[in-house]
Amino acid sequence: MLREEWRLHSELLGGGRFGAFPLLIVALVAGAVWLLDFSGTDPGAVVAGMHALAFVFGLHTGSIGFVGRDAVANVLGDVTLIVFSARTLPLSQSRLLGIFVVKDVLYYAVLFLLPMAVGVAPAALAGAGVGLATIPLLWATLVTTFVLGIGLTIAGVGLSANGLPGRALLLGLVGGAVAAWYTGVPVVGYTPYGLYLDPGPESAGASAALILAAYAVGAATFDPQTQSADRSVGPAFRRWLARVGDPVAAKTLLDVRRSSGGVGKLLFSAAVLLGVTAGLVDLAADITGVAPSVGVSFGAVLGLTGFTTYNWLTTNDDVESYLAHPIDTAAVFHGKLRAFLLLGPAVGLAFYAVGVAWRGTPIAEAVVGAVVLVGVACYVFGLTIYLAGLSPNEFLFDTGLYAAFGAAIALPLVPILVVAFAFAPVSSTLLAALGTGGAVLGAVGFGLYRRSLGKWGAYHRA
Amino acid sequence: MTAIRTDDLRKAYGDVAALAGLSLSIDSSELYGLLGPNGAGKTTAMELLTGQIVADAGSAEVLGVDPAADPLGVRERVGILPEKESPPSFSTPREYFQFVGAVRGMADDEVDERTERWAERLSFTEKLDTLSTDLSRGQQQKTMIAGAFLHEPEVVFIDEPLANLDPIVQERVKRFLTNYREAGNTVVVSTHNVDVAAELCSRVGIVNAGELVAEVEPSSLSADETLLDAFVANVDAGEEWDGDA
Repeated sequence: MLREEWRLHSELLGGGRFGAFPLLIVALVAGAVWLLDFSGTDPGAVVAGMHALAFVFGLHTGSIGFVGRDAVANVLGDVTLIVFSARTLPLSQSRLLGIFVVKDVLYYAVLFLLPMAVGVAPAALAGAGVGLATIPLLWATLVTTFVLGIGLTIAGVGLSANGLPGRALLLGLVGGAVAAWYTGVPVVGYTPYGLYLDPGPESAGASAALILAAYAVGAATFDPQTQSADRSVGPAFRRWLARVGDPVAAKTLLDVRRSSGGVGKLLFSAAVLLGVTAGLVDLAADITGVAPSVGVSFGAVLGLTGFTTYNWLTTNDDVESYLAHPIDTAAVFHGKLRAFLLLGPAVGLAFYAVGVAWRGTPIAEAVVGAVVLVGVACYVFGLTIYLAGLSPNEFLFDTGLYAAFGAAIALPLVPILVVAFAFAPVSSTLLAALGTGGAVLGAVGFGLYRRSLGKWGAYHRA
Repeated sequence: MTAIRTDDLRKAYGDVAALAGLSLSIDSSELYGLLGPNGAGKTTAMELLTGQIVADAGSAEVLGVDPAADPLGVRERVGILPEKESPPSFSTPREYFQFVGAVRGMADDEVDERTERWAERLSFTEKLDTLSTDLSRGQQQKTMIAGAFLHEPEVVFIDEPLANLDPIVQERVKRFLTNYREAGNTVVVSTHNVDVAAELCSRVGIVNAGELVAEVEPSSLSADETLLDAFVANVDAGEEWDGDA
């Protein structure tokens, strides 16, 4: 599977572009660590941030559990050829999914997490406060944090699929963990990050126990084959078509609603981003000693839900699947745009409302933050569809695309976050500028969308 | 009257020439077979004729419309059964037909009436409200066949129409295709199954390496001639293997 994964992406994207990806990560991490060190940020906070990133990455990779059966049957079957051909071998789907997870861990450990750890080296050599000798430990704890993230998601999916008792247990466990964290229990000490902070048999045992527990729950409850035979549903297409007025949009929304995880997978992705935003705001407050603008910072970062929502809107089809009908690429993209406008801003704003209610922010900042969120979400949508068409996951493997996407996202987001972190409470002049900027970003997003029509129309007919 | 015409149609994917100058002419009311080995260019020809892709060179017309210049104009008037595609995973066959009706501007009651008729013809009435992802390959193929004919087009392009169907349904589909042609419509069947082409088609074009290498009317073959003989004579089959286990 590993060999195939490499060949798949290197053939698809060109060996050089894919092979350069780890080097890009090393460069990005080295630059970020140097910049943060230069700005006086505690190196410990940088390492904590890297673990948080690995954890979120693991949670996201683990969300394959949401699409477990669909993925094996529909998506991975077409793309991950060994998984598909192995279906003809005497292996259960659960085992296939298990192998797929192991393969992903190995793959990301080498191609993503190792470069992240190595990226610290230049700063370490320059005496930035992170010892060179800790890099192997850093890699090990990043990998195990990633593994923990996958395990927790699969356990969560498994529990939530086990009826009311399973969901109640899940709610109890999550609630218990949050309550423990709030009341000062050193929750982090039981994770691989705790092992990094305090290497020793005790911390190693604690993090191993947590990981094993997550996977034990997952193994006991998660069943990728769970489905009722021949799922029958009442016809809903015309009802949805009457609501949204576009056949492709109606079909897309039905796909999201009915594929494994339902609308919950959109909410999960947004919830992860909300957690990241809260952590980022806390980190910024620690570094600067000033409370950032919750409205503006949450709005800017939660605008990135535009990417995750668009990703879920494009998981179940491609342009080719529409070409037997009198529909061209532009009509398919238009349907995706309409579906996105119905779901994307709404999902982002819902979690934004939770964030604002949770942390509190002046009303003017809350309003402008909402404008920024919608603008960023539309910009991210336009940028993604322009760069990757209906295959947004290509970002993960194409160095050139990833770099272009990252730069194009950073360009508007960094100034907005600088204002949110360094100029809070934000003056009315700056708020007016941010609001205008949000509207301009949305317009740029629509401009990119319009340009993508010709670009991808020609591509799909070539 | 000519329904479909191509002249020196060429298409390459990188260094591989999928079509190397395909010229053919198909009249109205023909059931024309495109017969060739795997990779001969049959599917590429169908995709070009339906405007899904554009040719590198050459020209084509379907019902007087250039598929390169007006792909939607062609696809509005034809039906297509692609080889690779299956109905949308999270739609039911009934919803898929409603989708087809919506994009083709058909009236709802017309779609509903034809949905029931096709479900009876191909024996999948009890599966009309089952998610396509839970259907067997044969049931998915039935759905795709019905979807291609739902708007009763003048010209239909069908790629391996009998794949995954049980023998009883295969016979029904064959009879339907013959009747559909006799009603004045044009059917183009892409297949690598010689028996299907011989039994079904009024004329068969043998395609090899992206070119039309022969045309045969199965009904005019003498008793000691078969379509398979014509096929073998015109197609490079590579190294011979006598079937040793």
